[in-house]
Amino acid sequence: MTIMLERPHASLRERVADFLFDEAEIADAHRYEDWLGLWGQDAFYWMPCNDDDIDPDMHVALIHEDRMGLEDRIRRLSSGFAHTQQPRSRISRVISHIRCGELEEGLVEVRSVFNLTAFRRDRFEIFAGRQIHVLRPVENRFEIVRKTVYLVNNDGYMSNMTFLI
Amino acid sequence: MNPMRGIDVDRLVQPDRVHSHVYTDLTIFEEEIERIFTQGWIFVGHEGEIPVPGDFRQRTMARQPVIFVRDQHGGVQLLMNRCTHRANAVCHLERGNQPAFTCPYHGWRFKLDGELAVVPFAERFPEDFDRSALGLRSVPRVEAHRGFVFASLNPDVCPLKDHLGPLVMQELDDIADLSPEGGIDVTAGYHRLRYAGNWKLQVENAIDGYHANFTHRTHMDNVRFRTGFDPAPLTSSAAPARIHALGNGHCRWDSSSLNKSGTRAFPGKTPDPGAWEIYLDAMIAAHGKERTDYLLSKQGSHLYIFPNFSYTGAHFRLFQPVAPDETRVTLFPFLLKGAPREVNRKRLRVHETFFGPAGGGQSDDLEIFERNQVGLGASLDPWSLLTRGVHLEQQEADGSVSNQITDELSNRTIWAKWKQMMGEGAMA
Ligand SMILES: [Fe+2]
Repeated sequence: MTIMLERPHASLRERVADFLFDEAEIADAHRYEDWLGLWGQDAFYWMPCNDDDIDPDMHVALIHEDRMGLEDRIRRLSSGFAHTQQPRSRISRVISHIRCGELEEGLVEVRSVFNLTAFRRDRFEIFAGRQIHVLRPVENRFEIVRKTVYLVNNDGYMSNMTFLI
Repeated sequence: MNPMRGIDVDRLVQPDRVHSHVYTDLTIFEEEIERIFTQGWIFVGHEGEIPVPGDFRQRTMARQPVIFVRDQHGGVQLLMNRCTHRANAVCHLERGNQPAFTCPYHGWRFKLDGELAVVPFAERFPEDFDRSALGLRSVPRVEAHRGFVFASLNPDVCPLKDHLGPLVMQELDDIADLSPEGGIDVTAGYHRLRYAGNWKLQVENAIDGYHANFTHRTHMDNVRFRTGFDPAPLTSSAAPARIHALGNGHCRWDSSSLNKSGTRAFPGKTPDPGAWEIYLDAMIAAHGKERTDYLLSKQGSHLYIFPNFSYTGAHFRLFQPVAPDETRVTLFPFLLKGAPREVNRKRLRVHETFFGPAGGGQSDDLEIFERNQVGLGASLDPWSLLTRGVHLEQQEADGSVSNQITDELSNRTIWAKWKQMMGEGAMA
């Protein structure tokens, strides 16, 4: 995707920042249904594997999910039988460097970075990377149309990563 | 061979149980690295990963750094990643394509087949300096079947075909023949995992039919929710599916009698009928109707090759022991040459649903391995049981021994092979 970001509009930037902070808070708290509620029906969640610049179709991803896949993920995590999140990880994430620009059809592209610390069973783990959200204004809020997460270690040997990123 | 350093293999591995120390003890682990991963055959990769001269991947064998590379003549090489001058690693990228390997320390340059091509300022070496004897060291034994490459650091190891045996070679044929062109494409990337547990926990799990309904309950619930089809009976004690011991510790999980394409048939994850039709026609043209039916009936089947290879339909795996309680696993989801793009695309989507660090199935396996390593620390009763189905084994016409899918024949045959390799004076 090669989109020239326009000069950020101050109030738009504040609104998308609030949205990302809300999303972060919801994900950190494992509020699964609330998190699912942030996504549009045409959602696409993509977390590439091995490299940032890969073909989403023909290269394996860490996460490659449409709305149905997200619902299945949330149903599983909510069930109490997803062993990998029993007990749940304790998470705190910081979102920063938020920049945004308007796309066609009223969509907003938001670029940001994150740094996430997770603690579970006496082990700290760090996840970091950049993320690109494509948001759609709906009434007086946003919904996520597309989210892409580029982990700095997406080519490394990884432990489970089954909380919400 | 090394002395056994006081390891009593007969006590640790009994016909009906194994002792915790086989998963936790550092001395035993070091002996495994020597006897199993150095003296024996191990899986190292697939030729389809490195289709073009100069393509390379970094790998390890028995924790040693090797380069898996397609050389300038089109051959597959396994070279020690160590400059013959002063031991610097000559390759520092995980993968890529290069015309040669140049040591960054003093500029020695090696051709893709390991030959030493350039020594800067060579006139200062003494007269007996023999450049031709200073190529990158080749792993002494490298052999392949249908593109699956196995190697050994032991020059005297038996031929690969004797290690695999005819039944395993047929299984590898059946994987490769899922392609109408008889070859698989391994350029779709990897999932790379680590867990804090012993490597043999992954080995045993790779061919464990008993765990599916419990470890993967959430996955089964999702399949049931989405399709109305309950996959749990396919891995219950009433299922007609079988585990087969194929010799030398190798095993097959055979669910072909169920004629189901696995348990992961989520809506939207199977190819459109049109693309599937094209694939089927190409398969029948290549292999005939009868063999095509057989090959496709095996899509839910698994294969394990001792010590570090497994196959589960959408991908194959390489296991890499790091420490008694640290293991790395690489998953190679693969594409079928000659199949429509749509068929291959959906193969990847099916794989991602269950596998990988963020998938909805394998992540629970890794969690179970780590909990297993915790449990193994309890010493009052240090035994793991292997008895399920021991009285119900069947001799099959093809020479294999079989057991029901939830039975522990696989564990027993894997441990018998382990014991043979780890026993006093054993040779690979
Ligand atoms: Fe499993």
